[in-house]
Amino acid sequence: MPPPQDWSERSKDLSQLLARAGLGDRAAFAALYDKTSSHLFAVVLRINRDRAQAEDILQEVYVNVWRAASGFDAAQAQPLTWLTSIARNRAIDSLRRAQTQPQLQAAVANDDEETDVYDAVADETPGPLELLSRAADARALSHCMQGLTAQQRQSVALAFYDGLSHAEVAEKMRQPLGTVKSWVRRALMALKSCLEHAALGEA
Amino acid sequence: MDYSRQALADHLAADYVTGTLRGPARRRFEKLLPAHPSLRTAVDQWQARLMPLTLGLQPQKPPAVVWTRIEQRIGGAPSSKPAAAQRSPWWSQLFVWRGLSVALTVAAVSLSVLLANPGPAQPPVVVVLSATSAPAGGVVPATFVASISSDGRAMVTRPLVNVSLEANRALELWALPASGAPPRSLGLISEKGTTVLKKGEVLKGASGLAVSLEPPGGSPTGAPTGPVLYVGKLNT
Repeated sequence: MPPPQDWSERSKDLSQLLARAGLGDRAAFAALYDKTSSHLFAVVLRINRDRAQAEDILQEVYVNVWRAASGFDAAQAQPLTWLTSIARNRAIDSLRRAQTQPQLQAAVANDDEETDVYDAVADETPGPLELLSRAADARALSHCMQGLTAQQRQSVALAFYDGLSHAEVAEKMRQPLGTVKSWVRRALMALKSCLEHAALGEA
Repeated sequence: MDYSRQALADHLAADYVTGTLRGPARRRFEKLLPAHPSLRTAVDQWQARLMPLTLGLQPQKPPAVVWTRIEQRIGGAPSSKPAAAQRSPWWSQLFVWRGLSVALTVAAVSLSVLLANPGPAQPPVVVVLSATSAPAGGVVPATFVASISSDGRAMVTRPLVNVSLEANRALELWALPASGAPPRSLGLISEKGTTVLKKGEVLKGASGLAVSLEPPGGSPTGAPTGPVLYVGKLNT
């Protein structure tokens, strides 16, 4: 399945930089950081909203990228996909640690039954559904997202963008855990099949 | 792989990439990945499918201090010299040199056995060549010790543990120039016992040594053709 065009366009020159960084070229690595750190920081910050922690995570991500760059295989993955995956994994792992020592968000202070965490931070932070539509330039994916039910879309968006677990998504959507699990699963399978069809259509 | 297992792998990979696979299950899954190519492929595919979703996020510029800390962690200020680009990854990788101080202790002990004759006034240079992770059928991970006379004209190599090698294979020793130029052959070495190499200035300009797996008689091309099995840094 070819990823959406713009994603691969953006990825193209990153492949070069990553390859050179893999050979120990610091200047290439610095250029790679310049071109990608704002994106990865946004990804991390969306999952872990503690800025200090997010900065630490970003640091870890790039130190890892530097060490692993020579193992990057452009035939297996696009660089931006690879980098974003590393950042997401780090951010998700940091949530696990944070959960053992619960962190209070500013928004929680005036939380009540009616308050949605997204309302509290709505000014600067778009909701997950808005993010999905902003990803519209990732055309095939966006098109396939439209094919999902609203509930499926929302459950995937909460899990993917915000790093929520099934249980947290269920809590947020006030739905039984089993229901949410099945929404997410069906949504992902529908996406997969839709993207595969889209790829066949292009071919 | 039958269909149900493949479907399960795909479900797990989807959960992993979406981020809903959590806790111990996530960690177990990560441990399985390196050894299960089909799982790895499923993860790659899901990443390719879903990561473009992050394009919807508004970029957030990290504070400058993050880059400063990264630079400190990866060692040294950024250099703009593209010369480094000439190096092959496996011998410029810093992690290869990690843990050598421990191995050096082992080497120091074995050296007393290794060097039958009392050394010259200048102590010899000792290089420990640690096993890389390069796959090589039938080769037992081991460590080589190379001691080089202080004038750099002779070298003795010896495996700390006997290496079992297939009959049609040989080990070739290479000097790795600090300049990043291609490795220079120093000759074949024995996988069982001591090899004495007499070369003019084997150390000259070299920053490390490596042993590669080659056909009998050594590399036909003058450059390492097989996997690099052992590598060590010159402690100059």
